[in-house]
Amino acid sequence: MDALAAFDWQYIWDHKAVLWGGAKVTFELAAIGIAGSFVLGLVLGAVRAYRIPVLSQLTAIYVELIRNTPILVQIFLIAYGLPKAAKALQFDFFTVACVSLILWGGAFNTENFRAGFEAVPVRYREAAYALGLGPIKTFLNVSLPIGGRIALPSSINTYISVFKNTALMVAISVEELTNVAKQSIDLDFRTWEMIWVLAVFYLTCVWTLSFLIRLLERHLALPEST
Amino acid sequence: MWDSLVSRLPDWAEPVVDYIIHTGLKNTLIIAAISVVLSVLVGVVLGTLLTIKFLPLRGLIRLYIEVWRGLPIIVTIFLLYFALPSVADETHLSFIDLDPMRAAILGLALWGSAQIAEATRGAVQSIPREQHEAAEALGFGWVGRHVNVILPQASRRLLPPLVSLSVGVIQNSTLASIIGVPEVLETAQRSANRLAVPTVDPATLAIEGGDSHALEIYLFVFVLFFLISFPLTRLAAYLERRLAQ
Repeated sequence: MDALAAFDWQYIWDHKAVLWGGAKVTFELAAIGIAGSFVLGLVLGAVRAYRIPVLSQLTAIYVELIRNTPILVQIFLIAYGLPKAAKALQFDFFTVACVSLILWGGAFNTENFRAGFEAVPVRYREAAYALGLGPIKTFLNVSLPIGGRIALPSSINTYISVFKNTALMVAISVEELTNVAKQSIDLDFRTWEMIWVLAVFYLTCVWTLSFLIRLLERHLALPEST
Repeated sequence: MWDSLVSRLPDWAEPVVDYIIHTGLKNTLIIAAISVVLSVLVGVVLGTLLTIKFLPLRGLIRLYIEVWRGLPIIVTIFLLYFALPSVADETHLSFIDLDPMRAAILGLALWGSAQIAEATRGAVQSIPREQHEAAEALGFGWVGRHVNVILPQASRRLLPPLVSLSVGVIQNSTLASIIGVPEVLETAQRSANRLAVPTVDPATLAIEGGDSHALEIYLFVFVLFFLISFPLTRLAAYLERRLAQ
Protein backbone atom coordinates (compact mmCIF):
# COMPACT_ATOMS: atom_id res chain seq x y z
CA MET A 1 0.00 0.00 0.00
CA ASP A 2 2.74 2.46 -0.90
CA ALA A 3 0.28 4.81 -2.53
CA LEU A 4 -1.47 5.23 0.78
CA ALA A 5 1.71 5.10 2.87
CA ALA A 6 3.16 7.87 0.72
CA PHE A 7 0.15 10.05 1.49
CA ASP A 8 1.61 13.51 1.69
CA TRP A 9 -0.11 15.81 4.19
CA GLN A 10 2.48 18.44 3.43
CA TYR A 11 1.27 18.55 -0.18
CA ILE A 12 -2.26 19.42 0.95
CA TRP A 13 -0.90 22.03 3.37
CA ASP A 14 1.27 23.58 0.66
CA HIS A 15 -1.75 23.91 -1.62
CA LYS A 16 -4.13 25.25 0.98
CA ALA A 17 -4.40 28.64 -0.69
CA VAL A 18 -5.43 27.19 -4.08
CA LEU A 19 -7.80 24.72 -2.45
CA TRP A 20 -9.38 27.40 -0.30
CA GLY A 21 -9.83 29.49 -3.45
CA GLY A 22 -11.69 26.59 -5.04
CA ALA A 23 -13.79 26.04 -1.95
CA LYS A 24 -14.75 29.71 -1.96
CA VAL A 25 -15.98 29.46 -5.56
CA THR A 26 -17.93 26.32 -4.63
CA PHE A 27 -19.55 28.18 -1.73
CA GLU A 28 -20.31 31.15 -3.97
CA LEU A 29 -21.93 28.94 -6.61
CA ALA A 30 -23.88 27.06 -3.93
CA ALA A 31 -25.06 30.26 -2.23
CA ILE A 32 -26.25 31.82 -5.49
CA GLY A 33 -27.78 28.54 -6.65
CA ILE A 34 -29.59 27.94 -3.35
CA ALA A 35 -30.84 31.51 -2.97
CA GLY A 36 -32.01 31.56 -6.59
CA SER A 37 -33.78 28.22 -6.41
CA PHE A 38 -35.45 29.30 -3.15
CA VAL A 39 -36.96 32.41 -4.75
CA LEU A 40 -37.82 30.67 -8.03
CA GLY A 41 -39.33 27.67 -6.27
CA LEU A 42 -41.34 29.81 -3.85
CA VAL A 43 -42.88 31.97 -6.60
CA LEU A 44 -43.50 29.19 -9.12
CA GLY A 45 -44.68 26.82 -6.38
CA ALA A 46 -47.36 29.38 -5.47
CA VAL A 47 -48.21 29.81 -9.17
CA ARG A 48 -48.74 26.05 -9.42
CA ALA A 49 -50.60 25.62 -6.14
CA TYR A 50 -53.08 28.42 -6.84
CA ARG A 51 -53.44 27.43 -10.53
CA ILE A 52 -52.80 30.90 -11.95
CA PRO A 53 -53.92 30.47 -15.56
CA VAL A 54 -51.31 30.20 -18.34
CA LEU A 55 -48.41 30.76 -15.91
CA SER A 56 -49.27 27.54 -14.13
CA GLN A 57 -49.20 25.50 -17.35
CA LEU A 58 -45.93 27.13 -18.48
CA THR A 59 -44.41 26.37 -15.08
CA ALA A 60 -45.52 22.74 -15.36
CA ILE A 61 -43.74 22.44 -18.72
CA TYR A 62 -40.58 24.05 -17.31
CA VAL A 63 -40.57 21.70 -14.32
CA GLU A 64 -41.03 18.59 -16.46
CA LEU A 65 -38.34 19.67 -18.95
CA ILE A 66 -35.77 20.24 -16.22
CA ARG A 67 -36.60 17.19 -14.12
CA ASN A 68 -36.49 14.83 -17.08
CA THR A 69 -33.15 15.86 -18.54
CA PRO A 70 -29.63 15.55 -17.07
CA ILE A 71 -28.29 18.76 -15.54
CA LEU A 72 -25.03 18.24 -17.41
CA VAL A 73 -26.93 18.41 -20.72
CA GLN A 74 -28.63 21.60 -19.50
CA ILE A 75 -25.24 23.07 -18.66
CA PHE A 76 -23.87 22.23 -22.13
CA LEU A 77 -26.97 23.58 -23.82
CA ILE A 78 -26.64 26.89 -21.96
CA ALA A 79 -22.85 27.07 -22.30
CA TYR A 80 -22.43 26.04 -25.96
CA GLY A 81 -25.91 25.88 -27.53
CA LEU A 82 -27.51 29.19 -26.57
CA PRO A 83 -24.66 31.40 -27.86
CA LYS A 84 -25.31 29.85 -31.30
CA ALA A 85 -28.95 30.96 -31.09
CA ALA A 86 -28.16 34.59 -30.24
CA LYS A 87 -24.92 36.41 -29.50
CA ALA A 88 -26.61 38.08 -26.53
CA LEU A 89 -26.92 34.68 -24.85
CA GLN A 90 -23.16 34.26 -24.61
CA PHE A 91 -22.30 34.26 -20.90
CA ASP A 92 -19.07 33.59 -19.07
CA PHE A 93 -19.03 30.10 -17.58
CA PHE A 94 -19.44 31.24 -13.98
CA THR A 95 -22.76 32.81 -15.01
CA VAL A 96 -23.68 29.67 -16.96
CA ALA A 97 -23.00 27.66 -13.80
CA CYS A 98 -25.20 29.92 -11.67
CA VAL A 99 -28.03 29.97 -14.21
CA SER A 100 -28.07 26.20 -14.62
CA LEU A 101 -27.94 25.60 -10.85
CA ILE A 102 -30.86 27.99 -10.30
CA LEU A 103 -32.94 26.58 -13.17
CA TRP A 104 -32.37 23.03 -11.94
CA GLY A 105 -32.93 23.71 -8.24
CA GLY A 106 -35.85 26.00 -9.02
CA ALA A 107 -37.69 23.24 -10.88
CA PHE A 108 -37.34 20.77 -8.01
CA ASN A 109 -38.17 23.46 -5.47
CA THR A 110 -41.32 24.42 -7.37
CA GLU A 111 -42.63 20.93 -6.70
CA ASN A 112 -41.58 21.12 -3.03
CA PHE A 113 -43.36 24.41 -2.44
CA ARG A 114 -46.38 23.41 -4.54
CA ALA A 115 -46.81 20.33 -2.33
CA GLY A 116 -46.30 22.51 0.77
CA PHE A 117 -48.91 25.09 -0.22
CA GLU A 118 -51.38 22.44 -1.30
CA ALA A 119 -51.03 20.76 2.08
CA VAL A 120 -52.36 23.88 3.83
CA PRO A 121 -56.00 23.06 4.66
CA VAL A 122 -58.48 25.16 2.67
CA ARG A 123 -60.36 25.99 5.87
CA TYR A 124 -57.34 27.97 7.14
CA ARG A 125 -57.58 30.23 4.12
CA GLU A 126 -61.33 30.46 4.47
CA ALA A 127 -60.83 31.50 8.08
CA ALA A 128 -58.37 34.19 7.00
CA TYR A 129 -60.82 35.51 4.40
CA ALA A 130 -63.57 35.50 7.04
CA LEU A 131 -61.31 37.65 9.23
CA GLY A 132 -61.15 40.13 6.37
CA LEU A 133 -57.60 39.44 5.11
CA GLY A 134 -57.07 39.97 1.40
CA PRO A 135 -55.54 37.29 -0.85
CA ILE A 136 -51.99 38.66 -0.53
CA LYS A 137 -52.17 39.02 3.25
CA THR A 138 -53.69 35.56 3.47
CA PHE A 139 -50.79 34.15 1.49
CA LEU A 140 -48.13 35.97 3.52
CA ASN A 141 -49.66 35.35 6.95
CA VAL A 142 -51.28 31.95 6.56
CA SER A 143 -50.23 29.91 3.52
CA LEU A 144 -46.56 30.90 3.51
CA PRO A 145 -45.71 30.18 7.17
CA ILE A 146 -47.60 26.89 7.21
CA GLY A 147 -46.90 25.68 3.67
CA GLY A 148 -43.30 26.87 3.88
CA ARG A 149 -42.74 24.79 7.00
CA ILE A 150 -44.21 21.72 5.33
CA ALA A 151 -41.97 22.28 2.29
CA LEU A 152 -38.82 22.98 4.32
CA PRO A 153 -37.32 19.47 4.73
CA SER A 154 -37.78 18.50 1.08
CA SER A 155 -36.51 21.88 -0.10
CA ILE A 156 -33.34 21.50 1.99
CA ASN A 157 -32.83 18.17 0.25
CA THR A 158 -32.96 20.09 -3.02
CA TYR A 159 -30.40 22.60 -1.67
CA ILE A 160 -28.09 19.71 -0.78
CA SER A 161 -28.39 18.48 -4.37
CA VAL A 162 -27.69 21.98 -5.67
CA PHE A 163 -24.57 22.09 -3.50
CA LYS A 164 -23.42 18.70 -4.83
CA ASN A 165 -24.18 19.79 -8.40
CA THR A 166 -21.60 22.58 -8.14
CA ALA A 167 -19.01 19.80 -8.60
CA LEU A 168 -20.31 19.29 -12.16
CA MET A 169 -18.90 22.65 -13.17
CA VAL A 170 -15.58 20.84 -13.59
CA ALA A 171 -17.05 19.99 -17.03
CA ILE A 172 -17.05 23.66 -18.08
CA SER A 173 -13.83 24.56 -16.23
CA VAL A 174 -15.28 26.84 -13.57
CA GLU A 175 -12.61 27.13 -10.87
CA GLU A 176 -14.57 25.43 -8.10
CA LEU A 177 -13.04 22.91 -5.71
CA THR A 178 -13.52 19.75 -7.80
CA ASN A 179 -11.94 21.46 -10.79
CA VAL A 180 -9.03 22.80 -8.73
CA ALA A 181 -8.41 19.32 -7.32
CA LYS A 182 -8.67 17.76 -10.79
CA GLN A 183 -6.11 20.21 -12.21
CA SER A 184 -3.77 19.47 -9.35
CA ILE A 185 -4.17 15.71 -10.01
CA ASP A 186 -3.32 16.26 -13.69
CA LEU A 187 -0.26 18.29 -12.74
CA ASP A 188 1.30 16.49 -9.77
CA PHE A 189 -0.38 13.06 -9.67
CA ARG A 190 -1.05 13.52 -5.93
CA THR A 191 -4.35 11.75 -6.58
CA TRP A 192 -5.17 10.34 -3.14
CA GLU A 193 -4.42 13.61 -1.39
CA MET A 194 -6.80 15.53 -3.64
CA ILE A 195 -9.56 12.91 -3.57
CA TRP A 196 -9.25 12.90 0.22
CA VAL A 197 -9.66 16.68 0.30
CA LEU A 198 -12.73 16.48 -1.95
CA ALA A 199 -14.33 13.66 0.07
CA VAL A 200 -13.80 15.38 3.42
CA PHE A 201 -15.03 18.72 2.06
CA TYR A 202 -18.22 17.45 0.43
CA LEU A 203 -19.12 14.98 3.16
CA THR A 204 -18.61 17.59 5.89
CA CYS A 205 -20.85 20.07 4.09
CA VAL A 206 -23.53 17.56 3.07
CA TRP A 207 -23.65 15.87 6.48
CA THR A 208 -23.88 19.24 8.23
CA LEU A 209 -26.78 20.24 6.00
CA SER A 210 -28.65 16.97 6.55
CA PHE A 211 -28.06 17.30 10.29
CA LEU A 212 -29.62 20.76 10.03
CA ILE A 213 -32.66 19.27 8.31
CA ARG A 214 -33.27 16.94 11.22
CA LEU A 215 -32.86 19.79 13.73
CA LEU A 216 -35.18 22.06 11.76
CA GLU A 217 -37.74 19.32 11.24
CA ARG A 218 -37.99 18.91 14.99
CA HIS A 219 -37.90 22.64 15.62
CA LEU A 220 -40.42 23.71 13.01
CA ALA A 221 -42.74 20.72 13.19
CA LEU A 222 -46.33 21.91 13.22
CA PRO A 223 -47.86 21.52 16.69
CA GLU A 224 -50.50 19.04 15.49
CA SER A 225 -47.96 16.67 13.97
CA THR A 226 -45.87 16.28 17.11
CA MET B 1 -39.48 5.18 -40.82
CA TRP B 2 -36.30 5.95 -38.87
CA ASP B 3 -34.18 5.72 -42.03
CA SER B 4 -36.42 8.05 -44.01
CA LEU B 5 -36.33 10.51 -41.12
CA VAL B 6 -32.55 10.42 -40.95
CA SER B 7 -32.14 10.77 -44.72
CA ARG B 8 -34.18 13.97 -44.66
CA LEU B 9 -31.65 15.64 -42.33
CA PRO B 10 -29.04 18.10 -43.61
CA ASP B 11 -25.72 16.57 -44.67
CA TRP B 12 -23.80 17.38 -41.51
CA ALA B 13 -26.47 15.92 -39.23
CA GLU B 14 -26.67 12.40 -40.59
CA PRO B 15 -23.35 11.06 -39.26
CA VAL B 16 -23.90 12.98 -35.99
CA VAL B 17 -27.29 11.39 -35.31
CA ASP B 18 -25.88 8.05 -36.33
CA TYR B 19 -22.92 8.39 -33.93
CA ILE B 20 -25.01 9.67 -31.01
CA ILE B 21 -27.65 6.95 -31.40
CA HIS B 22 -25.56 3.93 -32.34
CA THR B 23 -22.51 4.55 -30.17
CA GLY B 24 -23.67 7.08 -27.58
CA LEU B 25 -27.13 5.82 -26.74
CA LYS B 26 -25.93 2.21 -26.78
CA ASN B 27 -23.24 2.98 -24.19
CA THR B 28 -25.60 5.10 -22.10
CA LEU B 29 -28.09 2.24 -21.93
CA ILE B 30 -25.38 -0.31 -21.13
CA ILE B 31 -24.01 1.88 -18.32
CA ALA B 32 -27.48 2.54 -16.94
CA ALA B 33 -28.64 -1.09 -17.15
CA ILE B 34 -25.61 -2.58 -15.40
CA SER B 35 -25.59 0.15 -12.74
CA VAL B 36 -29.27 -0.35 -11.96
CA VAL B 37 -28.88 -4.15 -11.68
CA LEU B 38 -25.82 -3.78 -9.40
CA SER B 39 -27.61 -1.12 -7.34
CA VAL B 40 -30.60 -3.39 -6.76
CA LEU B 41 -28.52 -6.47 -5.92
CA VAL B 42 -26.32 -4.67 -3.40
CA GLY B 43 -28.97 -2.24 -2.18
CA VAL B 44 -31.63 -4.84 -1.35
CA VAL B 45 -29.14 -6.96 0.60
CA LEU B 46 -27.72 -3.99 2.54
CA GLY B 47 -31.16 -2.54 3.18
CA THR B 48 -32.48 -5.83 4.54
CA LEU B 49 -29.40 -6.29 6.74
CA LEU B 50 -29.97 -2.77 8.04
CA THR B 51 -33.15 -3.96 9.77
CA ILE B 52 -31.13 -6.30 12.00
CA LYS B 53 -30.62 -4.77 15.42
CA PHE B 54 -26.86 -5.38 15.60
CA LEU B 55 -25.12 -2.07 16.12
CA PRO B 56 -21.68 -2.60 14.49
CA LEU B 57 -23.28 -3.99 11.31
CA ARG B 58 -25.81 -1.20 11.19
CA GLY B 59 -23.08 1.37 11.72
CA LEU B 60 -21.05 0.00 8.81
CA ILE B 61 -24.00 -0.06 6.41
CA ARG B 62 -25.07 3.43 7.55
CA LEU B 63 -21.56 4.68 6.82
CA TYR B 64 -21.69 3.09 3.35
CA ILE B 65 -25.04 4.73 2.61
CA GLU B 66 -24.12 8.16 3.95
CA VAL B 67 -20.74 8.26 2.19
CA TRP B 68 -21.90 7.24 -1.30
CA ARG B 69 -25.08 9.28 -1.04
CA GLY B 70 -23.23 12.28 0.34
CA LEU B 71 -20.42 12.51 -2.22
CA PRO B 72 -21.14 14.15 -5.57
CA ILE B 73 -21.14 11.21 -8.01
CA ILE B 74 -18.40 12.82 -10.05
CA VAL B 75 -16.08 12.72 -7.00
CA THR B 76 -16.85 9.01 -6.57
CA ILE B 77 -16.05 8.44 -10.25
CA PHE B 78 -12.78 10.39 -9.88
CA LEU B 79 -11.92 8.24 -6.86
CA LEU B 80 -12.50 5.05 -8.84
CA TYR B 81 -10.89 6.24 -12.05
CA PHE B 82 -7.92 8.33 -10.89
CA ALA B 83 -7.09 7.12 -7.38
CA LEU B 84 -7.67 3.36 -7.46
CA PRO B 85 -5.19 2.57 -10.27
CA SER B 86 -2.30 3.88 -8.16
CA VAL B 87 -3.15 1.24 -5.57
CA ALA B 88 -3.57 -1.38 -8.30
CA ASP B 89 0.08 -0.95 -9.35
CA GLU B 90 1.44 -1.67 -5.91
CA THR B 91 -0.95 -4.35 -4.71
CA HIS B 92 -1.02 -6.23 -8.02
CA LEU B 93 -4.80 -6.21 -7.80
CA SER B 94 -5.05 -5.36 -11.48
CA PHE B 95 -8.82 -5.75 -11.47
CA ILE B 96 -9.24 -2.46 -9.61
CA ASP B 97 -7.45 -0.67 -12.46
CA LEU B 98 -10.77 0.29 -14.04
CA ASP B 99 -11.33 1.49 -17.57
CA PRO B 100 -13.48 4.66 -17.80
CA MET B 101 -16.66 2.72 -18.61
CA ARG B 102 -16.32 0.43 -15.58
CA ALA B 103 -15.39 3.31 -13.30
CA ALA B 104 -18.56 5.12 -14.37
CA ILE B 105 -20.73 2.03 -13.91
CA LEU B 106 -19.28 1.34 -10.46
CA GLY B 107 -19.55 4.97 -9.39
CA LEU B 108 -23.23 5.08 -10.35
CA ALA B 109 -23.83 1.69 -8.70
CA LEU B 110 -22.30 2.84 -5.39
CA TRP B 111 -24.64 5.85 -5.39
CA GLY B 112 -27.63 3.81 -6.60
CA SER B 113 -27.14 0.99 -4.10
CA ALA B 114 -27.12 3.53 -1.26
CA GLN B 115 -30.47 4.88 -2.48
CA ILE B 116 -31.96 1.39 -2.86
CA ALA B 117 -30.64 0.31 0.55
CA GLU B 118 -32.42 3.20 2.22
CA ALA B 119 -35.66 2.45 0.31
CA THR B 120 -35.41 -1.27 1.12
CA ARG B 121 -35.00 -0.59 4.83
CA GLY B 122 -38.20 1.44 4.80
CA ALA B 123 -40.05 -1.16 2.73
CA VAL B 124 -38.97 -4.09 4.92
CA GLN B 125 -39.88 -2.24 8.11
CA SER B 126 -43.31 -1.47 6.69
CA ILE B 127 -44.18 -5.18 6.66
CA PRO B 128 -46.16 -5.97 9.84
CA ARG B 129 -44.47 -7.98 12.60
CA GLU B 130 -47.10 -10.70 12.27
CA GLN B 131 -45.68 -11.65 8.87
CA HIS B 132 -42.28 -12.29 10.47
CA GLU B 133 -43.86 -14.32 13.26
CA ALA B 134 -46.02 -16.34 10.87
CA ALA B 135 -43.02 -17.15 8.68
CA GLU B 136 -41.02 -18.12 11.73
CA ALA B 137 -43.84 -20.37 12.91
CA LEU B 138 -43.74 -22.09 9.52
CA GLY B 139 -40.10 -22.93 10.20
CA PHE B 140 -38.36 -20.37 8.00
CA GLY B 141 -34.94 -19.20 9.13
CA TRP B 142 -33.87 -15.54 8.85
CA VAL B 143 -32.75 -15.83 5.23
CA GLY B 144 -35.71 -17.93 4.07
CA ARG B 145 -38.12 -15.70 5.92
CA HIS B 146 -36.84 -12.59 4.19
CA VAL B 147 -36.35 -14.09 0.73
CA ASN B 148 -39.68 -15.94 0.60
CA VAL B 149 -42.05 -13.89 2.73
CA ILE B 150 -40.89 -10.37 3.57
CA LEU B 151 -39.07 -9.16 0.44
CA PRO B 152 -41.78 -10.26 -2.04
CA GLN B 153 -44.25 -8.15 -0.07
CA ALA B 154 -41.79 -5.28 0.33
CA SER B 155 -41.08 -5.27 -3.41
CA ARG B 156 -44.43 -3.59 -4.08
CA ARG B 157 -43.23 -0.64 -2.07
CA LEU B 158 -39.81 -0.76 -3.72
CA LEU B 159 -41.11 -0.41 -7.27
CA PRO B 160 -41.63 3.40 -7.35
CA PRO B 161 -38.15 4.22 -5.92
CA LEU B 162 -36.65 1.67 -8.32
CA VAL B 163 -38.17 3.39 -11.35
CA SER B 164 -37.08 6.80 -10.01
CA LEU B 165 -33.59 5.44 -9.49
CA SER B 166 -33.46 4.24 -13.10
CA VAL B 167 -34.27 7.77 -14.25
CA GLY B 168 -31.58 9.14 -11.93
CA VAL B 169 -29.00 6.64 -13.16
CA ILE B 170 -29.79 7.31 -16.84
CA GLN B 171 -29.44 11.06 -16.28
CA ASN B 172 -26.31 10.78 -14.15
CA SER B 173 -24.69 8.44 -16.68
CA THR B 174 -23.85 11.67 -18.57
CA LEU B 175 -21.15 12.21 -15.89
CA ALA B 176 -19.20 9.45 -17.64
CA SER B 177 -18.48 11.99 -20.39
CA ILE B 178 -16.19 13.84 -17.97
CA ILE B 179 -13.80 10.86 -17.97
CA GLY B 180 -14.26 10.33 -21.71
CA VAL B 181 -16.73 7.44 -21.99
CA PRO B 182 -18.43 7.76 -25.41
CA GLU B 183 -21.99 7.91 -24.09
CA VAL B 184 -24.67 10.25 -25.48
CA LEU B 185 -23.27 13.54 -24.18
CA GLU B 186 -19.65 12.68 -25.02
CA THR B 187 -20.54 11.61 -28.58
CA ALA B 188 -22.52 14.85 -28.95
CA GLN B 189 -19.57 16.89 -27.69
CA ARG B 190 -17.13 15.10 -30.00
CA SER B 191 -19.47 15.70 -32.94
CA ALA B 192 -19.73 19.42 -32.18
CA ASN B 193 -15.94 19.69 -31.76
CA ARG B 194 -15.36 17.84 -35.03
CA LEU B 195 -17.80 20.04 -36.96
CA ALA B 196 -16.22 23.19 -35.51
CA VAL B 197 -12.97 22.43 -37.35
CA PRO B 198 -13.16 23.72 -40.96
CA THR B 199 -12.16 21.29 -43.69
CA VAL B 200 -10.46 22.10 -46.98
CA ASP B 201 -11.80 20.51 -50.13
CA PRO B 202 -8.64 19.08 -51.80
CA ALA B 203 -9.96 19.69 -55.34
CA THR B 204 -11.13 23.27 -55.09
CA LEU B 205 -9.22 24.30 -51.95
CA ALA B 206 -12.47 25.84 -50.73
CA ILE B 207 -12.87 25.98 -46.96
CA GLU B 208 -15.99 24.17 -45.81
CA GLY B 209 -17.77 23.75 -42.48
CA GLY B 210 -16.44 25.26 -39.30
CA ASP B 211 -19.87 25.49 -37.70
CA SER B 212 -20.18 23.36 -34.57
CA HIS B 213 -24.01 23.17 -34.78
CA ALA B 214 -23.84 23.03 -30.98
CA LEU B 215 -27.38 24.32 -30.52
CA GLU B 216 -28.98 21.66 -32.73
CA ILE B 217 -26.82 18.87 -31.35
CA TYR B 218 -27.37 19.65 -27.65
CA LEU B 219 -31.08 20.25 -28.26
CA PHE B 220 -31.25 16.82 -29.86
CA VAL B 221 -29.55 15.30 -26.80
CA PHE B 222 -31.92 17.24 -24.53
CA VAL B 223 -34.97 15.90 -26.38
CA LEU B 224 -33.51 12.40 -26.47
CA PHE B 225 -33.12 12.29 -22.67
CA PHE B 226 -36.57 13.80 -22.19
CA LEU B 227 -38.17 11.13 -24.37
CA ILE B 228 -36.50 8.41 -22.29
CA SER B 229 -37.06 9.95 -18.84
CA PHE B 230 -40.56 11.39 -19.12
CA PRO B 231 -42.44 8.08 -19.53
CA LEU B 232 -40.41 6.63 -16.65
CA THR B 233 -41.17 9.51 -14.25
CA ARG B 234 -44.87 9.23 -15.21
CA LEU B 235 -44.66 5.50 -14.46
CA ALA B 236 -43.02 6.18 -11.09
CA ALA B 237 -45.73 8.71 -10.22
CA TYR B 238 -48.45 6.24 -11.27
CA LEU B 239 -46.94 3.45 -9.17
CA GLU B 240 -46.68 5.82 -6.22
CA ARG B 241 -50.36 6.78 -6.52
CA ARG B 242 -51.44 3.16 -6.83
CA LEU B 243 -49.48 2.31 -3.71
CA ALA B 244 -51.10 5.14 -1.79
CA GLN B 245 -54.60 3.83 -2.50
